[in-house]
Amino acid sequence: MRLTKYLLPFMLVLTFSVLAGCTSKDQKKGETATQQTDEKMITIGWPLDVGPLNPHTYLPNQMTAQAMVYESLVEYNDDGTVTPKLAESWDISEDKTTYTFHLRKDVTYSDGTAFNADNVIRNFDAVLANREMHSWMGMVNHMKEVVKVDDFTIRLQLDEPYYPVLNELAFVRPFRFLADNGFPAGDATQNSIKVSIGTGPWVLTEYKKDEYALFSRNENYWGEKPLEEQIKIKVIPDSESISLAFENEELDLIYGRGIISLDNYTYLKDSGKYKTATSEPLSTKALLFNTQSGPLAELKVRQAVQYAINKEQMVDSITHGTEKVANTLFWDAIPYANIDLAPILYNPEKAQQLLDEAGWTLQKGEKIRSKNGQPLSLDLIYIATDAIQKPMAELMQGELAKIGVQLNLEGADVMVGLQKLMDDQVDINFWRTNGPPTDPHSFANESATPNASGVYEAKLGLPNAKEIDNKIHQLLIGTDEEERVQLYTDILTVFHDEALFYPISYETNNVIYHPYMKDFAPRASEYDIPYAQMDKEK
Amino acid sequence: MYESTWMFCLKRILTLPFVLLGVSILTFVFIRFVPVEPAEVMLRLARVAPTEEAIQALREELGTDKPFLIQYLLWGKGVLQLDFGTSFVSKLPVAQELFAKLPATIELALAAFVLILGFSIPLGIISALSKHSIIDKIIRFFSILSVSIPTFWLGFLLLYLFSLKLGIFPTNGKGTLAHLVLPALALALPSIGLFVQFIRSTIIEELQQHYVQYAQLRGLKNSVILIRHVLRNAAIPLTSLLGMTLGNLLGGAVIVEQVFSWPGLGRYLIESIMNRDYPVVQSYVLIIAVIYVLANLGTDVLHRLLDPHLMMKDRRD
Repeated sequence: MRLTKYLLPFMLVLTFSVLAGCTSKDQKKGETATQQTDEKMITIGWPLDVGPLNPHTYLPNQMTAQAMVYESLVEYNDDGTVTPKLAESWDISEDKTTYTFHLRKDVTYSDGTAFNADNVIRNFDAVLANREMHSWMGMVNHMKEVVKVDDFTIRLQLDEPYYPVLNELAFVRPFRFLADNGFPAGDATQNSIKVSIGTGPWVLTEYKKDEYALFSRNENYWGEKPLEEQIKIKVIPDSESISLAFENEELDLIYGRGIISLDNYTYLKDSGKYKTATSEPLSTKALLFNTQSGPLAELKVRQAVQYAINKEQMVDSITHGTEKVANTLFWDAIPYANIDLAPILYNPEKAQQLLDEAGWTLQKGEKIRSKNGQPLSLDLIYIATDAIQKPMAELMQGELAKIGVQLNLEGADVMVGLQKLMDDQVDINFWRTNGPPTDPHSFANESATPNASGVYEAKLGLPNAKEIDNKIHQLLIGTDEEERVQLYTDILTVFHDEALFYPISYETNNVIYHPYMKDFAPRASEYDIPYAQMDKEK
Repeated sequence: MYESTWMFCLKRILTLPFVLLGVSILTFVFIRFVPVEPAEVMLRLARVAPTEEAIQALREELGTDKPFLIQYLLWGKGVLQLDFGTSFVSKLPVAQELFAKLPATIELALAAFVLILGFSIPLGIISALSKHSIIDKIIRFFSILSVSIPTFWLGFLLLYLFSLKLGIFPTNGKGTLAHLVLPALALALPSIGLFVQFIRSTIIEELQQHYVQYAQLRGLKNSVILIRHVLRNAAIPLTSLLGMTLGNLLGGAVIVEQVFSWPGLGRYLIESIMNRDYPVVQSYVLIIAVIYVLANLGTDVLHRLLDPHLMMKDRRD
């Protein structure tokens, strides 16, 4: 039929007009169609929108964005020390219940308004109006009042000593400071703020929800000014898409833990086209054993499971070397955690021997050990969507089968696993530490009281569970530093010797960036991305 | 004649409230089957240890501490006044959020629709007219391929080819026409494949009808026969397919928006399900149901207008 003669050209014209339309439009602006990033701007991809940038609330605010705009009285560093930030110095009373902070006098907000004691008190009051929401932070439950001493001095009064005050004040939220002009009617910042004005190095200048947020350098910044003029955070929910956008030079770098899959990270790294960097450890991936009932109530079974798994091989093969093998629950730079503990290293014979001693024996012709007719079968829950937990779980299943232990796997939603462990319906769960600056004290806190971390319930089967809780309470409110070091040593040693946790690996922030960017050091922090140190070769 | 079409529309519109009631109850129940409640999810996502006090305070704030039926009635009462509640996560009115994102999804769906019609009609005709030729085989091969490829994979394939290797289109975001091409294409391709097959077989069937032979005998040009008679008759079954396609587009948009970082409703839904943002999910389903019902109604009406037989049948009934 002759009509085909017209139709084919029509199709081609349609296709090419679309292509031409797109390219010519962009070339008018003197760019290629896939827009490269600007040299005065650092562009990064992030899976979620930055949120309303409210310094006093949590979701949907992204910690990494809150930290760009707002600052705290003190700062926590990667080596575990606390140094001055908006407070230039502080005094702590003899009885450790009064903290007096001397504020810097050279700080103004990005809108030029004053940072002073009145404004600090206003922020504290707004946060404490919503105490329940912040009750996870031990300090909040001990705060009696915060009062102004003079224009640049404030006093924080506790009801009893609580040693981690400075660490908790350093945290990204809620104790950070909003300018007077940012406060809503009635100062109810728990609901919303009027506008995001902080003292930090960046100011939000352009924002399209769920598309991008553009931050510009705060020209009034009191500290060291950022090297680059602007930071653009593009919202790219899919990790594969982030990876592609980076390869396409639409992003300057990828920064963080789990922003892209490890396969993609390895692929980009191995291509040899990009620079990479890894931070010091920030949190620990571990297994948490439920001691309340079942075979894991026995220490020897818990130890056997740990001896049976070739951890080095597992971590290297699954994380492609981006995570470091962990033999203790906390990394040495975590305060109070640098103690000598004997690591449990891969030793399948020892695992078999321990199980035999515990009476879990292998009958003739059987593959699974049993005791009094009960097979040695354990349940492990992992997060179904987690690219690392699933292969690790499968690998452990294979390792344990070799010593006659049946491991049943169940993939679940993020929230389900720990709930089941608390309800004593599962034996093993993946677990991770919070990381600095709230560890180890928040870990201690969570281990001693029923909450959603699961540790309190998991340790109920330990012979000295009550004693541990008392020690934890003592170390949080005690005033003697030597005694505290000893208490931490005791508790971490007991947890280690009782094999309550099986430490797997230390998680790090992985960074991959284009060669035109200057080197910078990634931080071992969940929320502090060192944007101020980033720069491009001009 | 028109009256019956009006009546037909009226009947269908009168059933709409019942559809919406059913849909909203189902959504309300199903979303609560998802384990772990919103209060705890929010606290965990915020890296806050969910203490009993914090969970209780949040439950009261969200209203999830009330009995199930009361929650539903409260929400339903709001919906009747066009108040879809407040998002648990953003603390903003749900309606404001949804309607802010709706245009992006509609833009994507419309672009996909244009591509579907623009590509599938010519390709289907070419395929039918050159039956069993090499061109026909190529077209059929690609249309089967496009139907079988999973959308998310197709999306990445397009990104890899047109952004990374050829550098024609950007990989993410929204703004220029260039940003729209790949997501619209990814959304449209599976439907294009389906349509090409359908149009091809309809035209082949139509060409074997007696009236075509008569027309040829009367000396009418082939192009006239094709355009004025064959295509017109072939368009009738096509309209019902269009209605079904809309559902595919809305469903596909969820995945496409995720892959191409397109700030529309689909992506918002995924996030809201993860965050157990009940009011958002409930309202989203409701809005999609309304769109779906109205679109189906539209195609049915179009179908009736194009096909006089249906009208006649109605009258006889």
